[in-house]
Amino acid sequence: MIDVGRVCVKTAGRDAGRKCVVVEIVDKQYVVIDGETRRRKCNITHLLPLKDTVNISESANHEEVEKLLNELGIDTLKTNPKKKTERPRSKRKTPEQLKEQKEEKKKLRGILKSKKEDKSPKTTIEDKAIAEIKETDKGKDVNEDKNTPQKEKKKPAKSKESSAKRKKKE
Amino acid sequence: MVRPMYRSRTFRRVFKKTSGRVSLHYIKRKPAKAKCAECGSVLQGVPRAFPYKIKLMSKTKKRPERMYGGYLCGKCTKKSIINKHIKE
Repeated sequence: MIDVGRVCVKTAGRDAGRKCVVVEIVDKQYVVIDGETRRRKCNITHLLPLKDTVNISESANHEEVEKLLNELGIDTLKTNPKKKTERPRSKRKTPEQLKEQKEEKKKLRGILKSKKEDKSPKTTIEDKAIAEIKETDKGKDVNEDKNTPQKEKKKPAKSKESSAKRKKKE
Repeated sequence: MVRPMYRSRTFRRVFKKTSGRVSLHYIKRKPAKAKCAECGSVLQGVPRAFPYKIKLMSKTKKRPERMYGGYLCGKCTKKSIINKHIKE
């Protein structure tokens, strides 16, 4: 009953109730099927042969089976396999790129050093002013009051530096 | 005295050893096994658990991935498919 080209119905498993065609005979017990089901090896006891037959050569393609079954009015399984996408991989930097990186870092260092140097004279002027006030022999409380606001002024200056760094990196 | 609701056998009785003495616990019974609608045999691949636990399971764990899966057994599906196509 079961030969190459015989239309069958699968009666067991995930594809039960779907029609298929015998494409290849493997053993006494097993055949290869294709059609509405997936293309796979199948036990003969899980197949119910039907009246219809199809002219197919042995081990025919899925496209050939698709054409002939559509003439009989049987739909076939259509799969949408995923396209292969390239894995994101980190590449090694070329020596030219590494040189550019180093130059950028050097530039940043130069900016930082210049700003630090700018700071130091400012503090000296203020220290001198405080020293002058001390010489005039004013009360200790006055000196303490003047020292505290100076520390507060330094903090916002640091934040400006960090913001300048970020802008240049971008 | 036992609570009146525990006198009937709607609850399962379990003896547990706790801190040197045996105590009686009353536990709710499990729901019945799933059965084939045609022949009444026990279905395989269908979990026997409370509905709140079945809710958490994935769809593939609840029933076999076959035509009439979770409703008919494998033999009865085969019979139904053969009967359908022989008539044609």
